[in-house]
Amino acid sequence: MIRCKDCGASQYEGTLYCSECGRNLLHDQRQATDVLPFSEFAHRSPPPPVAEPEIINLNEGKPITFVVPSSRHRYTILLSTQIKIGRAFEDDSENSDPFLDLTPDNGMELGVSRIHALLQWSNQGIIIMDLNSTNGTFLNNHHLPARKPYPLQSGDELRFGELLVHVFF
Amino acid sequence: MSSESYYDALGLPTSATLKDIQKAFAALIGKFSEESSKVSNPEYEKLLQAYEVLSDKTRREIYDSLLVETSPPALTLTVQSSRQKIKLTDSAQTVYFLLEVIPPTHATRSRRPINLCLALDRSTSMQGERLNCLKTAVELIIDKLAPEDIITIISYSDRAEIVTEPTHIKNKNTIISHIRNIQASGGTEIYQGLLTGIEQMRQMPLQNYINHLILLTDGHTYGDADQCIQLAQKASQWNIGLSAFGIGSEWNDLFLDQLVAPSGGRSAYIAEPTQIIDFLQDRIKGLGIVHGRNLRLKKNLPEKVTLQYGFKLLPFAQPLELEGSEIKLGNLEGKGGVSILLEILFHPQEHESKITIPFEITAEITEQNNQQQKLSAQIQIIHANNPPAAEPPQDIVKAVRMLNMYRMNEKVWEDLEAGHVGAAATRLRRLTTRLLEAGEIQLAQQANAETERLANVGELSEEGRKRLKFGTRAMIGQTMKIEDTHDPL
Repeated sequence: MIRCKDCGASQYEGTLYCSECGRNLLHDQRQATDVLPFSEFAHRSPPPPVAEPEIINLNEGKPITFVVPSSRHRYTILLSTQIKIGRAFEDDSENSDPFLDLTPDNGMELGVSRIHALLQWSNQGIIIMDLNSTNGTFLNNHHLPARKPYPLQSGDELRFGELLVHVFF
Repeated sequence: MSSESYYDALGLPTSATLKDIQKAFAALIGKFSEESSKVSNPEYEKLLQAYEVLSDKTRREIYDSLLVETSPPALTLTVQSSRQKIKLTDSAQTVYFLLEVIPPTHATRSRRPINLCLALDRSTSMQGERLNCLKTAVELIIDKLAPEDIITIISYSDRAEIVTEPTHIKNKNTIISHIRNIQASGGTEIYQGLLTGIEQMRQMPLQNYINHLILLTDGHTYGDADQCIQLAQKASQWNIGLSAFGIGSEWNDLFLDQLVAPSGGRSAYIAEPTQIIDFLQDRIKGLGIVHGRNLRLKKNLPEKVTLQYGFKLLPFAQPLELEGSEIKLGNLEGKGGVSILLEILFHPQEHESKITIPFEITAEITEQNNQQQKLSAQIQIIHANNPPAAEPPQDIVKAVRMLNMYRMNEKVWEDLEAGHVGAAATRLRRLTTRLLEAGEIQLAQQANAETERLANVGELSEEGRKRLKFGTRAMIGQTMKIEDTHDPL
C-alpha cells in the first residue's frame, strides 16, 4: 500500500490518482521505488521458524547495528539477552532490557506498534519474533506469523509495519 | 496458391447461386476458345477449378467454410497496460488496461438502413418549452435520416400512444403532422412507452436493420423500473440498442444507466430543452455505419486478479455493467473505435511469477453477414523483485485522471446517502480543486456552489448532481477524443 501525501489515504500500489482526493500518485511512487536499497539481501527465501530455541544470556554483549534508510539513522545496541523493538521505551526498573525506539524514524506514521517485535540471542543464533503487532513484521519481505521465532542473518531486511530496517551483526 | 478466391475468378459474390455460377463460367470460358490459349495457362486452370468446386454443392460448402477463416480480420483489438512488471510485495496492486477495438482502415463505408424508434415523454411536466423543443428536434432528426430508414414514434405518459407506426422516412410530411399533434398530460411510466416502442420495432425484419430506440424522459418512473430493465435485456438479445436521455433534473440517473447497460447504449443529461437537438443528432450520427454489432468482453480473468472497475471511454463515456459473464460494450459505429478502461487488482504473489491476462471480445461483423468474430489479445504481467521504473502510456494516465474525477463525484453522493455530510463536503472541495487544475472552470464553479449548499442546507441540488455527474462523464469522452480524430460522419 502507498499513502497519499495530500490526504493520507491508503491506496494500492500502481494507483495513478488518489481515489480520495485526486492527487497524482505517479510521481510519488517513482520516488518511493528509488529509496529502497539493499536489494541483494531483500529477497532471501523465507527461513523456517526455529523450533524451541534455548535463550542464552551472553556475558559480554554483542553489538547489533540497525540501519533505517528512510531516516538515515543508525543505531548500535548491545544484545545480551534480548532487544525489544517499538516506539515506547517502558522505563520501569524491572525491565532493563535495551529497547530500539523507532519514534524518531516516523514509526508512528509508518505503523510501528508500541511493542512491535523482539530480538533474542539463542543457541541457534539470533532470532526475531513478532509480538502481535498491528501491522506485522516482515523478514526479507515475508510476513512473519506472530510469536514464532525466526533466525536472523546479518544483512537481513526487517520491516515493521511500513518502516524498513536493516540489521547487521 | 493464389490469394484470389474462386468467387473472384468468376467475378461473383460469395452469395452467388448455382445459376449465377453457371452463367459466369459460360461467359468467361468463351475467352479461351483457342486451343493454344488453354495450354498451361494459370488463368484457365483457375477458372476450371473454380467451376468444378463451386458447382458441386458439397465441395462448395467445404470451400466456403475455409474461405471464412482466410478472410482478413474485420476488427482489431489492441491492449495496453499501465505496467508490465510489478514489484513483488505483500500487498495487492492496481494495474490499468486500455482496450481498443478499431475497424480496418479500408473498411467499406456502406451504410445500413436504420430502424429507429423515439419514445417521447409527454407527461404534464413536459408541457411548454420542453415539448416544443422536442417536437422541433424530432422534425430535424427526420431530415437527417435516409429515405430507406424506418422511424417509429411513441409518446407516453401513464399509457403509451403510437404517434407513427414504423414508417419509411420518405413519407416525411405525414410523420411531421403526427408529431405536431402530441399533447402533454399525465404522469411518467416508462415501461409503457418502452414496451410499445419495442413491439412496434419488431414488426420490421430486425436483421436487415440497425435497430435503435431512443428514450426521452423528464421524470421518475413509478414502480416499473425492474420491468423496464428486464425488457431492456430482452431488447439487447433482439439486437435493439437503447439510449436514454433525461431532460431537467427530476429523473433517476442510476436507472437510466442501468437501462442502457444491457445493449451498451448511451445515457445522458440534457440540461436545457434547446440542447435536445444536439443530443439526438449526436446519437444518430454514424448509427447506420456499424462495423461490428453487440461487442462483448468475456470475463475470464485468472483467480489471482479481481476486476475492480470498468468504463467505456469511446465512442462515448459510459460506466460498464460488470456483473455477469460478459461485459456489454455496444456497437462499433461509424464514429471510430470503441475504447474501454479496466482497473484490475493483482493479489500479492509469494514468488516471482507471470500472470497472463486474456482478453476476448466477440462481435457480429455487419459487413460479413453478422458473422461472429472473436478478437483475442493477452498481456503478461510479471511480478519481479526489482522491476525497472516504467512510465505508463499517456492515454491511460489521461483517462484515469478524468475518470477519477467522475468517480470522486460519485462518491460524494454515496457519502451523502450514508449520512456522511462532512465527508461528502470534504470530497466535493477536493474535487473542486482537481477540476480547476484540469481547467474545467464551469464544473469547478458548480462543484463549489454545491459545496456551499452542502454546508448551508446539508444537501445537494438534483440539478447540481446531474450537471456534475454527466459533466465529469462528458469530460472523459472529450479528453480521449482530442487525439482521436476519426473522420466525422
